[in-house]
Amino acid sequence: MSRDDTSRREFLKAVGGAAATGTVAATAGCTSDISGGGGESGLSGTLVYARGDHPANYDPQQTTSGEVAKVTNQVFDSLIRFEAGSGGTLADSLATDYSLEGTTATLTLREDVTFHDGEEFTAADAKATVDRFTDEEYDFYLGGENRSGYGPFTFGDWVESIDASSDYELTFELTQQYAPFLRNLAMFAAAILSKSQIESFEGSGEPQVALGEEPIGTGPFEFAELDNENNRVRLEANTEYWGDGPNVAEVVFREITENSTRASSVINGESHITDNLDSQSFQQLQDNDSAELVSKNGINVGYMAFNMERREEFRSQAVRQAVSHAVDTQAIVDDIYQGFAANADQPLPPDVAGHNEEIEPYPTDKDEAESLLEEAGVEPFEFELATFSNPRGYNPSPIQTANQVKSDLEEIGFTVNVNQFSTFSSYLDYTDQGKHDACFLGWYTDNADPDNFLYVLLDPKVPMDAVPDGQDWVSRDTEGYSTLNAAGWANTEYMETVREAQATYDSGTREELYKEASQIAHDEAPWVFLDYAQTLRGIHQSVNSDTFTVSSVGGPYLETVEIDSE
Amino acid sequence: MVSKRFLLKRLLLLVPVLFGVATLVFAILHLAPGDPARIIVGQRASAEQLQQVRTELGLNDPLWVQYVRFLTDAATFQFGDSYQIAKGTPVREVVSETLPVTIELALFGQFFGLALGIPLGVVSAVKQDTLTDHATRIGALTGISVPIYWSGPLLILFLSTYLGWFPASGRIGATIFLDNSWQLLGTELPLTGLVTVDTLLLGNVDAFLSAVTHLLLPSLVIGIYSMALISRMMRSSMLEVIRQDYIRTARAKGQGARITVLKHGFRNALIPVVTVVGIQFGSLLGGAVLTETVFGIAGIGTMLVEAIGATDYPLVQGTVLTFALLFTLVNLGVDVTYSYLDPRIEQ
Repeated sequence: MSRDDTSRREFLKAVGGAAATGTVAATAGCTSDISGGGGESGLSGTLVYARGDHPANYDPQQTTSGEVAKVTNQVFDSLIRFEAGSGGTLADSLATDYSLEGTTATLTLREDVTFHDGEEFTAADAKATVDRFTDEEYDFYLGGENRSGYGPFTFGDWVESIDASSDYELTFELTQQYAPFLRNLAMFAAAILSKSQIESFEGSGEPQVALGEEPIGTGPFEFAELDNENNRVRLEANTEYWGDGPNVAEVVFREITENSTRASSVINGESHITDNLDSQSFQQLQDNDSAELVSKNGINVGYMAFNMERREEFRSQAVRQAVSHAVDTQAIVDDIYQGFAANADQPLPPDVAGHNEEIEPYPTDKDEAESLLEEAGVEPFEFELATFSNPRGYNPSPIQTANQVKSDLEEIGFTVNVNQFSTFSSYLDYTDQGKHDACFLGWYTDNADPDNFLYVLLDPKVPMDAVPDGQDWVSRDTEGYSTLNAAGWANTEYMETVREAQATYDSGTREELYKEASQIAHDEAPWVFLDYAQTLRGIHQSVNSDTFTVSSVGGPYLETVEIDSE
Repeated sequence: MVSKRFLLKRLLLLVPVLFGVATLVFAILHLAPGDPARIIVGQRASAEQLQQVRTELGLNDPLWVQYVRFLTDAATFQFGDSYQIAKGTPVREVVSETLPVTIELALFGQFFGLALGIPLGVVSAVKQDTLTDHATRIGALTGISVPIYWSGPLLILFLSTYLGWFPASGRIGATIFLDNSWQLLGTELPLTGLVTVDTLLLGNVDAFLSAVTHLLLPSLVIGIYSMALISRMMRSSMLEVIRQDYIRTARAKGQGARITVLKHGFRNALIPVVTVVGIQFGSLLGGAVLTETVFGIAGIGTMLVEAIGATDYPLVQGTVLTFALLFTLVNLGVDVTYSYLDPRIEQ
């Protein structure tokens, strides 16, 4: 036997082994994982929702994360809800009637609703929910270190007292007239918890953290299992649910961090629905017959803020307008965001009341930009543009966008130094401290109210008399200053308008005030308005697409979804 | 026989190594920009809330106070609770939940590396300078050069999305949930965290097949690098061995080529490969970080990436030190094995 004979035999063995491995893979691997489910509910099918993150705690009061909200919105109900697919219209939920007059909000609650543990829902649960979130005196207060920033935002800053003396009547007494209050009640952070569960933990603070591991609500799905080993959450249908649905026996939320893998999992049938996709994943889903990409106008805005406190040049309206004319925002949305966004022209996106239809985006016009600079007597200068690195919904390609801005501005003589941050937290830390010359930021609505954009992002929240005469910016050291206003812009005319609108209940008058404020913001250009991104979801063909509604606020509304279990 | 003195000396050396790693990871985390309190309270929170959380977490204490506190905790492997990723859960618990996932993946990857790398290395050596040898060497070079973040998505695209042979993600079917414990003679016992083992312990054959199917593609990806390295090592080691006098003597005595290569050559050529395999296991754990992210597997690697993104100090510190401990222990194991095989190493 020769040396060659020996090696040939070895080689054939190796080939045989590889072939066997391939055969096992081919026979075992081509199965779809999403036809399971069933059980005691009598419903069938398991809906699998693939997402990019897996938080380990599902307490709506402990987080600002949208990933948590996707799950808690299935488990809990709020007093009022956003109508599915409406873009922010309010609808009945645990409250069947509600009104806001002066500083009093009155709600009539739904009867015969039970929590998943069988306890009946009453006004006492709503009061315990708010107290846990905001009242330091309450024996079961969540604690300042545990509660999310939504505590003061939803209730704490506005609620003076709550009357829950009747089981099905609830009255909030507010500290001031505040038009967005009813919308705050529809936010995920305002979900109604069970008083008996809240009080089952030993006291306030740390013991309350555990609520998020086994949350009990009144929603269409019950929290069944938190599988941290495989980063999954399993929910079971609540067959006693007071509303429509659910139509599937189970929902499984699973984490797949990589965007393209998540899209692949929908294409090959391992998952039914996915979200938070990037432009490459859009393409994957669009090019495949077994999945489809569904979209809706998002309620968000992406922008580049000028830091008027730090750079004197940006205090000139003409300079800000010149930059707005020089940056080709249409090219950014068309080429970089691949058309999955619209060119922004004002802080409010189109589906929000108060969006001013008469405003047009700044046309890209380098000559106009140069003449505005000349008019201001400012030579093109060098500045820093800070940006985050990872895609966010309103800016799916931040680095490319920054480079586009850089190249557009360098055409008219500016020098732009792009300063990119690897983590979003370090980025926010930087911009909060006002260290940027200019920065990219964006906003997803909390409650689809115009106040959530115009007051939150562009009012500095300082007293009116703290703004020096003839100046339209304030220092970050000013008492009450909100770092969410990354531009430091403080236009008193604008501030008066949005503050008046905040306390105005007549919808027509309020809308007009916001249109006026939007016009001021457009003309003054404290930001380069970049885009309003679409809300996109990938769905597998086994999902009855008529039953799945993409929502830009609230949701996902999985109780209505039907799937083909075969 | 390995002497106690040698073992003790090597174990004592672990202390400065781990101290160095602990100091380094603390310094890097605290010098890097980012505020864990900001992640916890979110973009909407006020400056007062932010400061309140910073105080609660002890982040407003002087750095040296935080460092001493960290070292004291690390000495007993207590890293406190995760700030954000597994909020409120002790780091030790999170690590013990996710580590088996990564070890299982690394073991499967190592299996692929060995199962493919050794035969390829032997074939390549035996058929030196033939077309087979060139093809194997080019394959090995490619395997070493191709990064996991490229090969992973490419294989998913081809074998999963287009051919539908493998699942794209996870380590078990999305709708398969396992019990938390198993029974042996009426006694309830905890599961191992290794999904292939656990499904067998639970007697769930469907789940076992699903787990194996899910592990094949990521193991292949992680094993490619290992396979390439092992086959190159095996080839050069084999080439050296088959030129030795004792091989020529065996052939001269009339022993067949196959027996000579397998019985005399293969065993001797395997010794340096064993060393590489041991050290390689540490790299596989590192490779698992990327593989898990690409394949959506919830191991310690995915968790570490998320913890870094969220500046979850306790979790990052606990995880990195666990990796360091594992790596040094594996190396210690290799040294001990080697000194057992060749007592001259101890000198």
